[in-house]
Amino acid sequence: MLKTPGHYDFMPWRRRPRITWPNGARIAFWVAPNIEHYEYDPPPNARRMPWPRPVPDVSGYSWRDYGNRAGFWRMADVMARHGVRGSVSLNVAVCDHYPEIVERCCELGWELFSHGTYNTRYFYGMTEEQQRAVIRENRETILRASGQSMDGWLTPAISNDETTQHILAEEGILYTLDLLHDDQPTPIRTRGGQRLVSIPYSLEVNDVPLFVMRNTPPDRYAAICKAQFDLLYEEGAESGTVMCLPIHPYLIGQPHRIAALGEVLRHVTGHDKVWLATGREIARHYIDHHLAAHEAWIAEGTP
Amino acid sequence: MTGLPDDYFVYPKRGRGMDHDRYPYRILPRTKAVQWPGGARIALWVAVHAGHFPMDMPLKPFTAPGGMERPYPSFWDFTQRDYGNRIGIYRLMQAMGSRGVKGTALISAMLAREYPVLMDDIAKAGWEPACAGLDMAHLHHGGIAEADERAWIALATSLLRGRFGDAVQGWHSPAHSESHRTPDIVAGAGYAWTSGWLNDDMPYAFATEAGTLTAMPLPQDLADQRMLHQQNMATEDFVNAVLAAHAALDAEAEATGSGRILTVSVTPWLMGQPHRIRAFGAMLDAILARGSVWSATGSEIMQAWRAQQG
Repeated sequence: MLKTPGHYDFMPWRRRPRITWPNGARIAFWVAPNIEHYEYDPPPNARRMPWPRPVPDVSGYSWRDYGNRAGFWRMADVMARHGVRGSVSLNVAVCDHYPEIVERCCELGWELFSHGTYNTRYFYGMTEEQQRAVIRENRETILRASGQSMDGWLTPAISNDETTQHILAEEGILYTLDLLHDDQPTPIRTRGGQRLVSIPYSLEVNDVPLFVMRNTPPDRYAAICKAQFDLLYEEGAESGTVMCLPIHPYLIGQPHRIAALGEVLRHVTGHDKVWLATGREIARHYIDHHLAAHEAWIAEGTP
Repeated sequence: MTGLPDDYFVYPKRGRGMDHDRYPYRILPRTKAVQWPGGARIALWVAVHAGHFPMDMPLKPFTAPGGMERPYPSFWDFTQRDYGNRIGIYRLMQAMGSRGVKGTALISAMLAREYPVLMDDIAKAGWEPACAGLDMAHLHHGGIAEADERAWIALATSLLRGRFGDAVQGWHSPAHSESHRTPDIVAGAGYAWTSGWLNDDMPYAFATEAGTLTAMPLPQDLADQRMLHQQNMATEDFVNAVLAAHAALDAEAEATGSGRILTVSVTPWLMGQPHRIRAFGAMLDAILARGSVWSATGSEIMQAWRAQQG
């Protein structure tokens, strides 16, 4: 077993080569809706049972189902109203089950990246070839459904195995979201030296931990997200920061919470030095303009 | 490394719509518009959980939310919950009745045997009686033998119908938990609506082997039991969340021209506490003050919705 992921070098927050964003923005702000399907009767995985209750877990299944029937549509409208695009963390089987959702995402100019096939099919215990086959199939599905290239990856339920990041790089993925180690993009070291970067995702301002695990009421959620933004906006004057707002339609799309999303987006878009980006745009900009400088600085021992 | 078995990569249900046969996929904003009586934008449905939590209730394969939390015999947990059926529910009746707000009681059917006088008072309050299983010790789930499940539903139904007759039209699976066959047995027992599934804000048709049930929206995420008890939030957080839901649904009804439903899911042993009941009343006042509210029982909402389908 590994003691550490081994995918990145220590990069102290101060003294880093400066990151700049387009148009003098201090912060790249991106929203990652997790559009998922949890299966009614999924197969077991030795490391994690898909449902806490015996199948059918009606409360768990139907709660998630709410997101695709009701929550997504409400959430997408609020984002569109604020001119904020999504970068969809997509269980790609959604393309087959609910093509209307994917059509709506494309109509709004959203990016689609892969969050695996279903949120109930974990990567735990897969061989490298099995992982590779899923990644390739996911790429084909996203291309077929949207014409987009699959550039980003978040392993379903963040169930990545030891080798997953290496395989992502070998399969030509541009950016991974499986690591939570930074507020800026960073290089990811891979065994074959293929390029892969990490861009910030979040489990701090992610609505699942906030609403489900930390028992946060909607107004506190908005306050936490705004505080996160304010500090990263302030620090971004020195070197460009990234804030990701990961959301789940079955949670944020509920009637009692939807106004909180609007409040956060109103706050963010009320600032002028914000780059409203997608994951792909952030990764590309970082790769094109800053990756080499970061790698050189790491090679010099981060002086 | 052997990896995962081949069938882990087989997706037999991957295709258009759902991965089961209970209902087709439906998109809320593209759903047929519904008009409530009097042109109300909001149908207010107050669902009151009159639950019975036996002290020896099983805690496996999972503990029902609100189930016994301390070692047997937990007089603490039992009596705290039983308080709701003695005291708290009467405060709710008063707070709702004085404002002309109707209710649906989701009743553990054993209470018809344990507390027949409470059943009389629920009838006098004009609340709709609905069946929430036998009690919280009889959870319907995938590990229950079919014969047992059929017997539980038959007994629960006879207990409540024995007291209320055909007024018992609704079924709520305790803890929002069901087996694969629960809806089939429930429909076979003559129920018209069910509220175990959490996937919509509006009713929809739910297919069973014994005919179609109407699935009624009863959120778990916005329920006092979850927020106040499981999540330890403050009373104000629950009230504010309900009012935020009302504001969002009201705006949606206005924008789409289709009525919406505000379901208020409350628990007598929680919301009926002296320190909370005035906040509950104030919440109802705020809901009513917004206007265009039709207070109705679950069956009344179901009938209004059904009449406008097909």
